[in-house]
Amino acid sequence: MLLFFVSCFSFILISRSMSCKPLLPMPMRNQLTLSSPFSWGQFSSFLMSFFHRIKLNQFLMMKPLKKMTTGPSQVLQVQDFPGEEKFSLLDLPELTLDCILERLSPAGLCSMAEVCSSMREKCRSDHLWEKHMKQKWNRLIGDAATREWQCQLASRKRPSLCGLDRRNGFKKDMLFRVWPFTWMRPNLECGGNKPISDFPVDSIMGLYLSLENGKFWFPAQVYNRENGHSGFMLSCYDAHVSYDSQTDTFQARYSSPGRRTVEENIPWDRLRAPPISTPPHELHNSDCLNDLRPGDHIEIQWRKSKEFPYGWWYGVVGHLESCDGNEDRCRCHYSDDVMLEFSQYPADSRWRRTVIDRKEHKEADTGGNGFYGGIRKLYTKEEISTWKRLQPSHVME
Amino acid sequence: MSSSSSSSLPPCPKKMITLKSSDGETFQIEETAALQSKTLENMIDENCASTPIPLRSINGKILAKVVEFCNKHAEVGVDAESLHAWDAEFVNVEYTTLFDYILAANFLEIPTLLDLASGVVGDMIKGKTPDEIRKMFNINDAFSPEEEEEVRRANQWAFE
Repeated sequence: MLLFFVSCFSFILISRSMSCKPLLPMPMRNQLTLSSPFSWGQFSSFLMSFFHRIKLNQFLMMKPLKKMTTGPSQVLQVQDFPGEEKFSLLDLPELTLDCILERLSPAGLCSMAEVCSSMREKCRSDHLWEKHMKQKWNRLIGDAATREWQCQLASRKRPSLCGLDRRNGFKKDMLFRVWPFTWMRPNLECGGNKPISDFPVDSIMGLYLSLENGKFWFPAQVYNRENGHSGFMLSCYDAHVSYDSQTDTFQARYSSPGRRTVEENIPWDRLRAPPISTPPHELHNSDCLNDLRPGDHIEIQWRKSKEFPYGWWYGVVGHLESCDGNEDRCRCHYSDDVMLEFSQYPADSRWRRTVIDRKEHKEADTGGNGFYGGIRKLYTKEEISTWKRLQPSHVME
Repeated sequence: MSSSSSSSLPPCPKKMITLKSSDGETFQIEETAALQSKTLENMIDENCASTPIPLRSINGKILAKVVEFCNKHAEVGVDAESLHAWDAEFVNVEYTTLFDYILAANFLEIPTLLDLASGVVGDMIKGKTPDEIRKMFNINDAFSPEEEEEVRRANQWAFE
């Protein structure tokens, strides 16, 4: 086969030298072209089929000859004869090996990566980890976590990362082409001596493992913060969270002026990726005010005072006091005032209702009731049902 | 009489194609069952299936099993549960045979068989240590000179 390839190569060279000989007289060149057995088009299609055949031949030659020597009836019963090697997993063609690796769990991939050098290379590849990443982390690792990742990387200089950049064939632009996680790099504490089992930087595998081992603290929002503390019921606060794979729960750090609160054992269903990009200290620009009508589900920013970050509070658009709630007579959606109701509080609570101005809503001190900020209307059933699930079974005092 | 005999016959005679293994055994398979293989489907489409199709990479024993698999999966009215049980029994073989199934399924492009067999190999890997995996699948080259070179280079960069 090698011989064939070499002869093929020399054929290409000869053909090239023919087409590049301007010194030949015109008739001669024509003659040469005509007498050539292939046109370039034919030749390239021949090459294509040749390489296709090589692929098949490679495949046909995959079976070690030893198998044939054991006799036709024994062909597949490879025995452990002395000096004879069994068929190895590594003898499988690339595509089929991929089929197997695609079925492995993250733990399986990690074990396989430690088996040998070629497996190590294969088992780190992004396409094998992308599925796991999406399956487990897609819900929580959104734009905010991604940005955090970049920030952490930019603020650190890691030697092994530099090393990787210099490795032959490492192309950054290649990484950027693949879907979100590829361009993120794990927050690794890279020491001088990198053990063989260490996972690579610049890979989805690296990010996945950094999340799993809890080293990457990422931004997320926590529903009913501080373990259902009554003061935070039906709200969602920004925090930095880290995963604990032992308990399958999260630890959260909230930042509030004067105190740093940590909460542990937060289950998955009390977390979400921030749905919008507004940071916790910024007023959200409400673009849904004209669209609000009784029965709509909303989240509104609220903070105790200007030093505090906003939390997002769930509420429902209610009827104004002048309206009896009858659908036919209700004119609430034409009014400049919008009534917001927070059903977790008793009817006579000062937290139960607030009225905002549809035309000129802005953050204002409500006289001891804190500051109500921007509003986002909830459109998806998923978001609404999540809030309903978190609703306390009884009205809070 | 003639009408009853014609009604007992299927409306269209079953089209059979012949496959020839690397060791010269021939196998008949119904065209409908063979269509599970994309490779065979292409040959049928290109009218290359009228003579025995030589499959030089698949021996008689494996080809017999592959034909059996295709026939089973082409059967009409098999419920999913019993097919699942049948599949489990089919792949309850030594790993080298599994690899042969994988190679054959890859060559003949039979996704169901490829999925099934590679899934079993994947299951075998579950919960095993790297050392156990090496032994189980006969992987001897734990380290290559390239890898040692890579580690050496990585360390070199780290100290720069």
